[in-house]
Amino acid sequence: MLRVEGLSHHFDGVEALVELNLQVAEGDVVGLIGPNGSGKTTLLNVITGVYKPASGRIRFHDREISGLEPHEIITLGIARTFQNLRIYKRMTVSDNVWVAQHSLPGVSLRELFLARPDKERRHREEIERLLELVGLAERRDTLAQNLTLQDQRRLELARALVRSPELLLLDEPAGGMTPVETEEMAALIRDVALPGRACVIIEHKMDMISALCSRICVLNFGRKIAEGRPDDVLKHPRVLDAYLGHERMVHA
Amino acid sequence: MDDYVVSIFSNIGMISFLALSAYLLLLTGEISFGQQAFFAISAYLSGIATAMWGWPLWSGLLLGALAAATAASVIGFLTLRLRGLYFSIATLAFAEMVRLLFVIFHYQVVIDGEPVGPDGAEGFRDIRWVFENNVSVTEYMVIIYIVLFIVLVLFFLLERSRLGSIFRMLGEDTLLTEMQGLNVIRFKVLASGIAGFIAGIGGGFYAHFATYLEPQIFNVMLGVHGLLYGLIGGLGTALGPLIGVGLDIGLLEAIRAIQGYRMIVFGGLVAVLLIFMPRGILDEERIHWIRLTWRRWRDAAR
Repeated sequence: MLRVEGLSHHFDGVEALVELNLQVAEGDVVGLIGPNGSGKTTLLNVITGVYKPASGRIRFHDREISGLEPHEIITLGIARTFQNLRIYKRMTVSDNVWVAQHSLPGVSLRELFLARPDKERRHREEIERLLELVGLAERRDTLAQNLTLQDQRRLELARALVRSPELLLLDEPAGGMTPVETEEMAALIRDVALPGRACVIIEHKMDMISALCSRICVLNFGRKIAEGRPDDVLKHPRVLDAYLGHERMVHA
Repeated sequence: MDDYVVSIFSNIGMISFLALSAYLLLLTGEISFGQQAFFAISAYLSGIATAMWGWPLWSGLLLGALAAATAASVIGFLTLRLRGLYFSIATLAFAEMVRLLFVIFHYQVVIDGEPVGPDGAEGFRDIRWVFENNVSVTEYMVIIYIVLFIVLVLFFLLERSRLGSIFRMLGEDTLLTEMQGLNVIRFKVLASGIAGFIAGIGGGFYAHFATYLEPQIFNVMLGVHGLLYGLIGGLGTALGPLIGVGLDIGLLEAIRAIQGYRMIVFGGLVAVLLIFMPRGILDEERIHWIRLTWRRWRDAAR
């Protein structure tokens, strides 16, 4: 479904991604790990068109997407969340999910200007269903800025899921969470987000990565240094060296 | 009502269009110091249409507003790729350019032995449609308010629509909005065009109210006022900019004791408000609270 081939990107001469290859097939759940600054988020940004790659190709369903504008790439069926949490703070929880529907094929241009009550009710039901699933139904009328960090991350997840993306890109979905919250988020992703779609997850919490992912890809200084099944990769000496230093605190 | 009161209310009505125009751009996160340019373009063009070409008021207003919307879309397309301060400066420069163009703009025809039309810095005299058609100042004020009411209703519909939420999305986080699959530039240009149209309506009304235009009227201070009204009144609802206009022109003008110091008092008021209420009196949080409270009452009453 997603093929990244020979992808390179740099910021003012600093190499952020070097000749990177990555494939994501239907139903794959790929964990993207690596130390801070290793290029994980940059990769998501290049895939979603925020940055234009210096060289290399990105194909989504046999379509070259590396030259497209972000909004064009998103409408092909990719959705993402953000490491540094991006939500519409001055909108309510349910409106934060509602706004992600605007560019869906199910919402006509006419509906942007004037809602059709019958269709709008169905759209709102879908939002309500998702809010129930992520546990935010009680907070639907709260301004998003008043949510806890955990709830804000859940909101981002609901907002991505309302687009029913084929490919979901999660950037540290449990960032800043306590171990208990992390476990809840992992369960939520497993039960709600993963079924029926491919997913790339960036995360530093190895328990979560090894519980959710079928494959792990390790980056260091913009290069892929290992890829494979979680158990194998996390024991790989180069990975231990690069990522975990010498403490070797792996609980796989 | 005596004529003085009528003229104040007419002013409030006409400037409200300018304030709503700047407010719409504020929602999208853009600070424009140049909405007076679209007010001016429409004032001149609608004046030309009625006074020189003999058009009726309505078609003159429409022509002016459409021209303003077109100009605003083009300018929007050229400048909205700029961010923040750069956009603000570009709008300011554009508005001054328009004003200076009117200083050298001569286009006159002779009607009944008298030259009529814009005469550069001398201004544009005798836009007399209102008098020639025996519309009283009070009736004209009512017309202004009817149109303002219609625009306001459309604004409320817009704010409930998906399109309206896109404008607010742009104001909160442009990248995130692009990541919702929306063509950010296209919607910014649309907002700019609508804002130009609304400013244009106000400009057209102004030309026929004042009967006399000179370029100097449309200076930066007019635009700054239009911008500040939304910031004072609040960015949570289209009523915000109207509250701002009412506070400045209505309240401050009415307190005659501060006549000469109006600008100073107004400036102070703005400074204090923006410290304690950075997004105005009726900001998003207050509007949200009002909405929830209202819904609770309504449900309890059932």
